[in-house]
Amino acid sequence: MPLSMAHAGESNVIKKVGGREETRKFLENLGFVVGGAVTVISEAGGNIIVNVKESRVAIGKDMANRIMV
Amino acid sequence: MAIKIALAGNPNCGKTTLFNALTGSNQFVGNWPGVTVEKKEGRLKKSYCAGSTEEVIIMDLPGIYSLSPYTLEEVVARNYLINERPDAIINIVDGTNIERNLYLSTQIMELGIPVVMAVNMMDVVEKSGDKIHTDKLAGKLGCEVTEISALKGTGLETAAKKAITAARRKAAETPVHEFAQNVESAIRAVAAKLGNGVPQEQKRFFAIKLLERDDKIGAMMSSAPDVSAEIKSLEDAFDDDTESIITNERYEYISSIIKECYTKKGKEKLSVSDKIDRIVTNRWAALPIFAVVMFIVYYISVTTVGTIATDWANDGVFGDGWHLLGIGGSAYDAACEEFAEATLFTDEVKAAVEAASRAGVIGAEDVLGAIEENDFGGFDEAYGSYADALAEAGFDLSEVVDPLLEEAPDPADYGVWVPGIPVLVESGLEAAGCSEWLMSLILDGIIGGVGAVLGFVPQMLVLFIFLAFLEACGYMARVAFIMDRIFRKFGLSGKSFIPMLIGSGCGVPGIMASRTIENDRDRKMTIMTTTFIPCGAKLPIIALIATALFGGSGLVAVSAYFLGVAAIVISGIILKKTKMFAGDPAPFVMELPAYHWPTVGNVLRSMWERGWSFIKKAGTIILLSSIVIWAGSCFGMVDGSFGFSTELELADSVLGAIGNGIKWIFRPLGFDDATAAIATIMGLVAKEEVVGVFGVLDFVSMTKAAAYAFLAFNLLCAPCFAAIGAIRREMNSAKWTWFAIGYQCGFAYVVALIIYQLGSLLGGYGNVLGTIVALLLIAALVYLLVRPYRESGTLKVDMKRLSKSKA
Repeated sequence: MPLSMAHAGESNVIKKVGGREETRKFLENLGFVVGGAVTVISEAGGNIIVNVKESRVAIGKDMANRIMV
Repeated sequence: MAIKIALAGNPNCGKTTLFNALTGSNQFVGNWPGVTVEKKEGRLKKSYCAGSTEEVIIMDLPGIYSLSPYTLEEVVARNYLINERPDAIINIVDGTNIERNLYLSTQIMELGIPVVMAVNMMDVVEKSGDKIHTDKLAGKLGCEVTEISALKGTGLETAAKKAITAARRKAAETPVHEFAQNVESAIRAVAAKLGNGVPQEQKRFFAIKLLERDDKIGAMMSSAPDVSAEIKSLEDAFDDDTESIITNERYEYISSIIKECYTKKGKEKLSVSDKIDRIVTNRWAALPIFAVVMFIVYYISVTTVGTIATDWANDGVFGDGWHLLGIGGSAYDAACEEFAEATLFTDEVKAAVEAASRAGVIGAEDVLGAIEENDFGGFDEAYGSYADALAEAGFDLSEVVDPLLEEAPDPADYGVWVPGIPVLVESGLEAAGCSEWLMSLILDGIIGGVGAVLGFVPQMLVLFIFLAFLEACGYMARVAFIMDRIFRKFGLSGKSFIPMLIGSGCGVPGIMASRTIENDRDRKMTIMTTTFIPCGAKLPIIALIATALFGGSGLVAVSAYFLGVAAIVISGIILKKTKMFAGDPAPFVMELPAYHWPTVGNVLRSMWERGWSFIKKAGTIILLSSIVIWAGSCFGMVDGSFGFSTELELADSVLGAIGNGIKWIFRPLGFDDATAAIATIMGLVAKEEVVGVFGVLDFVSMTKAAAYAFLAFNLLCAPCFAAIGAIRREMNSAKWTWFAIGYQCGFAYVVALIIYQLGSLLGGYGNVLGTIVALLLIAALVYLLVRPYRESGTLKVDMKRLSKSKA
């Protein structure tokens, strides 16, 4: 399912990162790699804040829809 | 020769704090050539130099997540590292987030430059009970590793010493991290093809970048070998693109070493920052909390403390003077009150003003109000503005009031009175026997012009303290997250909100605040639209028009803010659909730093950096423009021949001639007279100057539609010179500055024209041609608003210019 649908507080494993090349690479550099763990901290109108590799990253709804967990 | 040491690390890892701690006040702040990425250089404090006689230069590189070419910061940082080749790199690593930070480290170590890793925030790590075994980390990574806390200032000396030693040693350790077998063999194969153009120690870096299809690196090399065969075999083997393969390999490698080097104490799921974020960015609570925070910031810095500071600066330092620490202030006020009641507000004066008020003379009501409240200050101010209006309407009070005002209490007789700069300078120049024109230049031109702008400095500093605090503690990043939902709808990003909020105080710091927006398109659009919001200096214009033609209605002010917001929304949508700004707003991805208490030193330093750059601007651009405008108003036709006079009527001056020459431009907007044209030009020095030129009397002949069109044009057109200077600095391009100004003026013109023509039509005095033009313009605006979006382009950075301009 897309990351935007994950429940707050539970840890998920990233299966695929989609989206535009430029953004995908940026996300990979931030730690969103296939097989890595990601936890949703909070959600507001589709935009979410996640914990990935011990850091908090805010991502917009359009990106969150393209990260499959 | 000086030793050059670069600081590299992720954003928010404490790099700037470390830089400030290492260099103290020996800093030079500028821009990287060709881009608006801040460049900070500094000299290492002598106490850290460990007895070395050489000069040590520290270079603060922009915060980056990798050495790939996806953001301007990354391009700038890696160009510096490759082309300038510093003697050593201090790689700052956030200890609380070590895994992600090491990702950049693995890339930095491939550059063939000696690296010292400084693990920051060790105090926080220890407090949480976690443990980082730096000795094991050093062994695994093959570079020096040292523990520091940049905030607390611990371990800095060791870090600096190790970096200097590494810089002297020159040769870097070869990177020990190894990827999977077939990846390594591909890298070796490409490295072998590189030839002698690339130094041995850099071969691994270039080989990996070529494998990743990094065309910017290929463009930098004199001859890039063809590596498509290696890329293909790797991609076939892994069923992925090479860049992702190598990214994965790096994370794999980090995971493989991290277990031994990092012991996590508890299995606690949420950190303190996570808990705060659950409340502060909560779906329901986020906006109310944000509104409260912004209200407090705005209330204190613009309304209360800020206004007191601005009044002090404008009326005190750049006015008549002020009472030191308020001593004698209340005694003076009491004396004024007594004087007003006993001497000034006689029945004769009162009766005359009442009669004028009944006759509907503009301003008489204000004067009367002040008399009824026995408010001397208010009377003085209102009388000063409206005396001429009263006299013209046949209620000449000057013979009665003026001699009485001479007897008014002198503030200098009470308490400790400090005279203002103009007063001091004037008496000084008089004593020196200075000629009249020079005095006029210095007092009216320079001090009047520059002082009017510098008067805003105290208020801005108060605002900057708050902003620096919100930024340093980590809340500002959340604001962008919260506001993104709303701003996305009209093509801006959440980070555009802060500049606009600040812009309601003053446009200059507002424009400067746009720096935090990384995406180039979003930043340029924010810069172009920020000054549509009415700033503090535009409020007098709004008040003037509201008083003169709309019976002092508060609706005028409300409509002005509404107009500003509407202009931003409309411009956002229109600009986003042009070729230049095409493409979706960059997808919102940003790291949220952990919440922490900033140090007082860092907040003050950040405040001062912004404030100082404003003061410098006032000292250059505004000084120059003030002198030019002064000359324009003092030279002109004196007694039939061209000459100089400080008593010149505006209409006879050069400025007046220019006003007459260009007034036809404003005919479609309904204010084709010379004074209105001059007022608009004067508005470029500082917006409140419009009121100085364009008094209440000038409105009598105007229709409401024309007056509101005048207001709309002055609110939306090019901002003052100070703000234009800020635009120039933040755009970092003359072309873009002209485009921004042109767009603002054009947009203002169109809006004012529509308001005037349709307003006239509703008022029953419209004309056919004007109405048709107005309707056509509305149709054009609607077309620009609803036409489909264009395709997006990608980030383009002129590599040639970047690498050339370093020379």
